[in-house]
Amino acid sequence: MNPLDKPPVQLGLALLTVLVLPLVLKSGILATEILIFAMVVAACNLLLGYTGLLSFGQGIFFGIGTYAAGICLTRWSIPVPVVLGGAALLGALTATLVGWLSIRRQGVYFVMLTLAFSQLFYFVAYTFSDLTGGDNGLLGVPRPSVGGTALNTPWAYYTFVAVCFVTVFALLVMVTQSTFGRTLIAIRENEGRAAAIGFPTRLFKIEAFAISGAVTAFSGALHAMLIGVAPLSNIEYHTSELILIMTIIGGSSSLFGSVLGAGFYLLLADALSTVWPRWLLLLGLVLVTVALFLQRGLWGLVERGYDLIFRRGRSIDSETPAKEH
Amino acid sequence: MINRRRFLTTSTLAAASLAAPGLVSRALAQSEALKIGVPVPISGAFAANGKFATIGAVLAAEEVAAAHGIEVSTLDLDTEGKPATAVRKVQDALAQDGVKLFAGGILSSESLAMGKEVERGGGAFMTTAGADEITGVDCNKATFRWSVPTYGAINETVRPIIDALPDARKWYTITPQYVFGDGLLNAAKAVFEEKGIEHVGNSYHSLTDKEFSGYLTNAIAAQPDVLLVLNFGAQSSDTLRQAVSFGLKQRMTIVVAWASGLEQFEALGPDICEGVYFGAQYWHGADTELNRQLVAKVQEKHGFNPNYSFAGSYILSKLLLEAAVKAGSPDGAGVAEALRGLKYQGLTGEEEIRAADHQVIKDYYLLKGKARADMADKDDYAEIISSGKSFLSPEEAGCKMPA
Repeated sequence: MNPLDKPPVQLGLALLTVLVLPLVLKSGILATEILIFAMVVAACNLLLGYTGLLSFGQGIFFGIGTYAAGICLTRWSIPVPVVLGGAALLGALTATLVGWLSIRRQGVYFVMLTLAFSQLFYFVAYTFSDLTGGDNGLLGVPRPSVGGTALNTPWAYYTFVAVCFVTVFALLVMVTQSTFGRTLIAIRENEGRAAAIGFPTRLFKIEAFAISGAVTAFSGALHAMLIGVAPLSNIEYHTSELILIMTIIGGSSSLFGSVLGAGFYLLLADALSTVWPRWLLLLGLVLVTVALFLQRGLWGLVERGYDLIFRRGRSIDSETPAKEH
Repeated sequence: MINRRRFLTTSTLAAASLAAPGLVSRALAQSEALKIGVPVPISGAFAANGKFATIGAVLAAEEVAAAHGIEVSTLDLDTEGKPATAVRKVQDALAQDGVKLFAGGILSSESLAMGKEVERGGGAFMTTAGADEITGVDCNKATFRWSVPTYGAINETVRPIIDALPDARKWYTITPQYVFGDGLLNAAKAVFEEKGIEHVGNSYHSLTDKEFSGYLTNAIAAQPDVLLVLNFGAQSSDTLRQAVSFGLKQRMTIVVAWASGLEQFEALGPDICEGVYFGAQYWHGADTELNRQLVAKVQEKHGFNPNYSFAGSYILSKLLLEAAVKAGSPDGAGVAEALRGLKYQGLTGEEEIRAADHQVIKDYYLLKGKARADMADKDDYAEIISSGKSFLSPEEAGCKMPA
């Protein structure tokens, strides 16, 4: 194992990120968005990198969390911790349903099923506009309060999200290092063998889906509070696509790669979008480059740099890459 | 390629002339700068609209700077056509750049979200987005809207055609199935009922549809005299293209109630537009004083005629900046106070900002596409058939302005 992949190092890097972002970014909103999407991408990574499941359904869970926060906070004034917990629970339940049905098929059919669910949930949200606000979304989602003070300034809310991020990241590191996490890797590497030695592989995959859905929906709720609106676009298929792109760019062999992927994408988009209207072309080039030359993503580059500096003579090729689809 | 993120124009002249009557300033100090954010889609599917909008805002900033001898800068904010991105950019502009004035928002979803955010941040926001809720149930102290809502758009297109074509008694509608589409459809049904028109059918479609042949086949089967197209943007262009290729223009009158204006005519070309009726918020050929001046300036500076995106952004920016000059500060409360009830000579003639719901009372145009042979110049795609003002009262629109 590359020393950088050790759990304390991963957690240390996550903590460092939380501390460094306020020093290098002027925008507290952008910094908060990076942390929120870092959690979303890490949850996607649990499926793609650790379990080998390429899911186009992550946008569903993100949207569910967004709407859970939007509905609860604008209509019923439910306390924020309950909303966040409820969003995570709802995300887990939805993901269990989607996972339970989707993992009945493998390969391209699994991908098609998650894609179909993605479209289905989008149209459900679009159709039930009395509940979701339809195309206009739900407006006026308030920020949480701590000790009676509303976190209305960008950096105050950043602090709240940073605490959530570090906690969630630590939990995900624990999950990936547990027997459960090791079993997911075994399923990714050879599902038949894992089943043959007695692991209920379908159950493990469903559990991975549930954890991923819970974290993604939790992040969706934080996102609604960040921007003050629960938009229809959060449950669109494009959101699933965006999450997958960030995951692949960051690299699916490490949880901190997810933080890199989210940060890289959001900073690139922020910097380029007003400079060049067709900046998405560049994103296409980045994806082509990653697919051809950087199959371990940005995290692979970091590992390679570390090896070049500290472990000359040892090839990173000996490391086991994540299963590619 | 656009790079106008920070346009800065400084007038060295202590100009005494004021651009808009009624906005006589207790002007900002000459050293004081005004900043206006232009939150529009600069990248993504609506990038073309955003490009013209940013140039329009720059022209308004230059004029206000020259008129009052102050510094005026515009700050382009790329919303990417997404409400989440739009709100984040507005939050950043409020918190980091100290921007209080915002002119933009092309899509309804992003405009509604930005309006709320600007209100929370103590600024003022003006938009051309179409959703009725902006000056209806979701109206707020900070948000103003220049464009005519669905009720006026339908009344100023459907009514004149019913009057002009008394034998056209059967109408068919094609509607996008969401709040905006239903707003247009309900307004159309009310006019049909009042005028004794037979509504022979409606086809709903989703916002993602690009293929309309099935709906057009249904329309043909219903044998209407008029096909009323209630979608907008690329979808209305696709519907119209496919309707023309199906030969519907020879069988019935086609009306596009909510057209994008010159951009849409350029995309479709005169052969498709000929004989088709279009409802429009703005037309460069409108015979008003301010519009003639705008067309001349834009022709001189950029060599093209202003389209709706350009003109809309220009007038929004100009109104907000002049109001800030009058108020002596860009803070939302003062700007809103200066705008409420304002009467002025605008691009469509006499315009008024209704105090109760912040809706601009202005003309909506009914255009008819010209034959290629009848076009006087490359942009002379249509003639103005009629124009007028139709608005629900603030109470009917559902606006309860917060105190």
